[in-house]
Amino acid sequence: MTQRYALGSTHNQPGKANAEAGVVLLDGPHGIAITMTPYAALETGKSLMEAAAIAQTQISEPPYDRA
Amino acid sequence: MFTDKFLRQRSGTSLTREERAVLENAISEVRTLDARTTIARAGEPLSNSTLLLEGFMCRYVDDRQGLRQLVAVQVPGDFVDLHAYPLKVLDHDVATLTAVTVAILPHDSLNHINSTMPELTRKLWFSTLLDAAMHRAWVFRLGRLDAVGRVAHFLSETHLRLKAVDLSDGARFALGITQSDLSEICGITNVHTNRVLRQLREEGLCVFRSSLVDILNVEGLARRGQFDPDYLYIRFDSDDPDRERLM
Repeated sequence: MTQRYALGSTHNQPGKANAEAGVVLLDGPHGIAITMTPYAALETGKSLMEAAAIAQTQISEPPYDRA
Repeated sequence: MFTDKFLRQRSGTSLTREERAVLENAISEVRTLDARTTIARAGEPLSNSTLLLEGFMCRYVDDRQGLRQLVAVQVPGDFVDLHAYPLKVLDHDVATLTAVTVAILPHDSLNHINSTMPELTRKLWFSTLLDAAMHRAWVFRLGRLDAVGRVAHFLSETHLRLKAVDLSDGARFALGITQSDLSEICGITNVHTNRVLRQLREEGLCVFRSSLVDILNVEGLARRGQFDPDYLYIRFDSDDPDRERLM
């Protein structure tokens, strides 16, 4: 597997969440397409924010890609 | 003729009159089956293979909670379980999605073809390789595409497969599956599928209603699903508009 593919699997575009019929639908980034209960979505959101904050401390320049 | 849809409009291969006659003679029985009937279970020894004549079938795998993932959909003209001829047992279940008519070919008959008709054997092999190509496309679909892309890719694929056997007029086809089946094909929930179908309709790409599919924009739907038809080995007629739109 080439470096290009390895880098390509780390996503720098955010996913998009929508509420529908009492559940949360998460689309993207890329191949992600899942449905969560509000509880699962909230907890996943918290976990993502905590992990993102730690990940930012693990790299130097740039802190993260907003592109 | 029961085998007239088999390998129809596939590039690089078509059956001669003699080969078709041999395949017809290999059929031991034609059966009709109700919708939602499991015809082969994983691990069960099999001595026949099944050619789908009418209706839709699927291969599926259940997870430990009993939730089903469809891993293939078979349309008329497909050999549903030709793999069972060399494998003798399958690693997945096979079921009908709609009421179907199938032709049964005993493995003994396939043995005879295998030992006497190498070119027909190669064409049967081609059809299983076509299944393998579709499996690769399905892996790509689930691994790389978002929910809208997955549904768009599946409907683009099905549009071409059905058109090859004259079951789509190029813009509309009957797809005897439910929204729930579509969810199990695309690995998403029913709520998600419902939203995706609404989005595809609002974007003017396609309408899926009561198991009837209207493709409003063939090129746009294919683009949304990153659908490249090469893996279907379709032989497009020179005047087929999809030749320009999709190739």
